[in-house]
Amino acid sequence: GKVPASNILASAPSDKNLDAWRELGCRTTHCNLEVVHRSTLVFLATKPHILPGVLEEIRPAVGPHHTVVSLVAGVTIQTLQRLLPPWTKVLRIMPNLPCVVQAGAMVFSRGSNAGDEEAALLKSLLSSCGLCEEVPESYIDIHTGLSGSGVAYVYLFAEALAEGAVKMGMPGALASRIAAQTLLGAAKMLLETGEHPAKLRGDVCTPGGTTIYALHQLEKGALRATVMDAVEAATNRACDMAKD
Amino acid sequence: MSVGFIGAGQLAFALARGFTAAGVLAAHKITASSPDTDLPTVSGLRKIGVNFTVSNKDTVKSSDVLFLAVKPPIIPFILEEVGPDIEARHIVVSCAAGVTISSIEKKLSTFCPTPKVIRCMTNTPVIVREGATVYATGTHADVEDGKLLEQLMASVGFCTEVEEDLIDAVTGLSGSGPAYAFTALDALADGGVKMGLPRRLAVRLGAQALLGAAKMLLESEQHPGQLKDNVCSPGGATIHALHFLESGGFRSLLINAVEASCIRTRELQHLADQEEISPAAIKKTLLDKVKLESPSLSVASASKVSLFTSKSKKN
Repeated sequence: GKVPASNILASAPSDKNLDAWRELGCRTTHCNLEVVHRSTLVFLATKPHILPGVLEEIRPAVGPHHTVVSLVAGVTIQTLQRLLPPWTKVLRIMPNLPCVVQAGAMVFSRGSNAGDEEAALLKSLLSSCGLCEEVPESYIDIHTGLSGSGVAYVYLFAEALAEGAVKMGMPGALASRIAAQTLLGAAKMLLETGEHPAKLRGDVCTPGGTTIYALHQLEKGALRATVMDAVEAATNRACDMAKD
Repeated sequence: MSVGFIGAGQLAFALARGFTAAGVLAAHKITASSPDTDLPTVSGLRKIGVNFTVSNKDTVKSSDVLFLAVKPPIIPFILEEVGPDIEARHIVVSCAAGVTISSIEKKLSTFCPTPKVIRCMTNTPVIVREGATVYATGTHADVEDGKLLEQLMASVGFCTEVEEDLIDAVTGLSGSGPAYAFTALDALADGGVKMGLPRRLAVRLGAQALLGAAKMLLESEQHPGQLKDNVCSPGGATIHALHFLESGGFRSLLINAVEASCIRTRELQHLADQEEISPAAIKKTLLDKVKLESPSLSVASASKVSLFTSKSKKN
């Protein structure tokens, strides 16, 4: 409820996705320049290879009153500032998928001309979608590895949990729902108690009980190292892609 | 109060050293006995002023607190031998891994109706007064008896009472624990040497690092995971190193080790309960000396001695 839908204008070359916007009550157009003319806060949400062309297109219309926020993966602030007028206020943001359900994790960084006001505006707007923190730009690729791609790791883990339950005799649909709720509940406890995950883990482990037996299996499988490898791989890939 | 040790090996030596260094007991109030006078620890014990004898019976007679500091398979022989000399005043403390209170009480009850038995599990760092000890009191041991032992053992490190059924797990963790630490330290030193440090310095620094970390943990309210995090600056050296440890399954190896030691302890006790230990498993010289001291053990019964029943079985 931060912004009335009628104040949002979205553009795309075709109508393919615009129906969804219209359903929300937003206005739509096929003209990128129109968006720039009629908005003060402009989000760039194209695929990376499309962006340079779009920036060239809108460049003439971008003025000092605009705040340009790029959600485009792998495109650095340096590149954005190079392709836009030199005084443009630019910010770069990396969200993740659960923004859709207002449980997202987002980080953003400022360009040289973006000030406290622009940062505060962005943060206040986006906090409605979840966690939103300002960071140095070097953290953005790490965020990709941790949280952007991270949701996929969680989906994989949830799937595996459910499969384990199915193996032990539980119906799949029920197992999946319980797996998801378990992850949700655990995450909620982490966020709300602020306790170290190791402590919360210890709290669940009664001596000689089921949990410690299961954790031993996870340690045998070097789960921790594998997860660290995953975050590292995704982060490195994000860095490599940004260089292209 | 006088303390006696049946057995004059590593454990007796470590405890005697610790007690005297702590000033809780004068050396001349300690007696240790063993038929084997060639043990290196025997001369060590003599040097610190402990009374050494080859007669286990003499040790029993001159002690209030009697530590059974022999290997588990020897315990039944010892109990047979000194049983007749055990009085109600004695506090018998067994340090033998896997040997249950009830097995000792059963054996002693043929000689003394209400033997005070305490089972204890300690570790070698008692020698430097940083031991880790747990104990469980037997049927006839009073609260004061437990407290007395606790006072003694607290002078050489940490000591607390536990339920007897936890003692095997303690064996796996802190009983064997120093061996895990020595292994780790050896390897850490190797790492240091590989990267250019002289060996002695590497050993010294590695040991100090573990000592310091352990001390921090004991004095902190924080979870070890939190303390670990505090050392890991983002993208720094430590987190890179930790990743290697995780990849190698470091944590699970340690869990496996504690588990294996605990399970083996139980196994040995189970074996002892089920089977009979043949004298071939005991050093011949030891057995001969035991026979000499205890004419009550007949020749026929000496050929196979059942560990925890008082009746001897024939071949």
